[in-house]
Amino acid sequence: MVVERDIRLFFQYKFLIILRAIWFVSQIVLFGLIASRMINVREVPDYFRYYVSGLSIMTLYSAAIFIGFDIYEEAEHGVFEYLLSLPVSRRQLVLGRSIGGGLRSFIYVGPLIAASLFVIGAVNPLNFLVALFALFLFSFGVSGMSITIAVMIKSSDRFDILMGVLDALIVRLSTAMYPLAVVQAANPLYGGVANFNPVSYAADLFRWGTGIESTYFTLANPLLPLLGIIAFFAIFTFVGVTIYDRRIEGGGWQ
Amino acid sequence: MPSIIQISNLTKKFGNIVAVDHLDLEVEDGEILGLLGPNGAGKTTTILMLATVIRPTEGTATVGGFDIRKNPEKVRELFGIVFQEPKMLWVSTPWDIVNWHAKVCGLSTEERKRRVKEVLESLDMWEHRRKNVHALSGGMRKRVELAKVLVQRPKIAIVDEPTAQIDVVGKHRVWNMLRRLRDEGSTLILATNELYEADELSDRVAIMHRGKLLVCDTPKTLKDSIVGGDIVEIQLENDASAKIVEELKNFKEVVNILQVKPCILRLYLNKVEEVVPKIMNTLVKKNVPVTSIHMSEPSLDDVFAHYTGLTIEEAQKSGE
Repeated sequence: MVVERDIRLFFQYKFLIILRAIWFVSQIVLFGLIASRMINVREVPDYFRYYVSGLSIMTLYSAAIFIGFDIYEEAEHGVFEYLLSLPVSRRQLVLGRSIGGGLRSFIYVGPLIAASLFVIGAVNPLNFLVALFALFLFSFGVSGMSITIAVMIKSSDRFDILMGVLDALIVRLSTAMYPLAVVQAANPLYGGVANFNPVSYAADLFRWGTGIESTYFTLANPLLPLLGIIAFFAIFTFVGVTIYDRRIEGGGWQ
Repeated sequence: MPSIIQISNLTKKFGNIVAVDHLDLEVEDGEILGLLGPNGAGKTTTILMLATVIRPTEGTATVGGFDIRKNPEKVRELFGIVFQEPKMLWVSTPWDIVNWHAKVCGLSTEERKRRVKEVLESLDMWEHRRKNVHALSGGMRKRVELAKVLVQRPKIAIVDEPTAQIDVVGKHRVWNMLRRLRDEGSTLILATNELYEADELSDRVAIMHRGKLLVCDTPKTLKDSIVGGDIVEIQLENDASAKIVEELKNFKEVVNILQVKPCILRLYLNKVEEVVPKIMNTLVKKNVPVTSIHMSEPSLDDVFAHYTGLTIEEAQKSGE
């Protein structure tokens, strides 16, 4: 029921959803098409397809982050007190919110991913199912991360800025927009971060699932990013939930 | 009647501020207990502790036999709360809010649909059920908040300022609904700073001030307990001087004088028929013109004034 509430609530923000979808489409048909004409090197023969798949992961990431903003909105309207007074255990409440945040972002990004698949073309059904499962866990993990940070930082302005910084670091230092070898060549330290980054894991698995790899960014072992995403999901869903649980019971939300 | 809530030594501190100060109180099963006090008296904090939303600093309470510290989940199963400020996101609709609440409280689909419709209709909210909360007036939002508990029919309903922002006709309708809820088996805690509401609805009234419980009894017993059971309110043409107040205090029948406004004196006294002519003579002799004189029975405001030395309005101002 907590999951259902979060999903219903998200889709009440129709204006925001429509704008996000417009943003996604314009990123593909404007930025993607134009920028890919500049990048036409031997190593990345079709940057457009690479870009579209990376953009899908970035959109999933930013939709899953949204749950953190909901927490501030609820605190502002006093809804948090109401949720805490319900005959639901704290653990159910928090876990429900984390799953709800992930699921709704997945439902929202689903049609966009379908659209990007149409653009990308090739699909290997089995690989794609594995990739889809990984993206599922990825979105729950990002939601859990957003909730954990939101309850640790009491100011919504600070949260907003921190999320902007995290977005710049996590997304830009990933393989969502450029292959790992290119990042590595630019700076080995950047390469190191991109190599251990949940956004990279999600983007790599998505490309592996959709079969748009090239020799320059072939995924040698899909198990490694899959395990990385499982670890990310586990940390931010279960550890995050515990932190959240303690802060609620201790009155730290006030 | 057996008590369903036993509060013992319940205390909440926010830094150096003591919001609730060693509160001891019992709530009887099936009664409407009015929790009366000005803003800042500690009513809402007490409610939030009972509902396990915030933790007490000291002391505890048992609700339906469950300790709020040890069994918070069991305690929450017994409660339904109407919050002072409606708790809802502005993108939600009344139907979504009430229906989801009923679902979380375990009502079956059929029962839920029936009750949600019934309650929203009775609160004149049915035709507004699909509007976003931001399009509703303050009174409508309060009605949606109230609808949650009326649909839930909890074992213990806490209603915090249930008729704030609701018009006079609506108030009477809400009071009837709350009485029906009690008659159907719920115990109600009514937190209010409206004296008439507390008097009208409560089986017993607990008066709180600055986090402490001052007194708890039936409204009638509380009113009867005031020494100097007759009340005379004298409005003077000019502000009353300290000298004239002292002069009036010298009458042995006058028990207490409260300066409600600079030009209004409220006298608590005995033998009203004998003393009022004497008072009037004194005022005439002292050349103090009187605009009006009004005699009344004691109200809960008088009870509050008796215990605190302040009217509830004054206490409200000093608390702000």
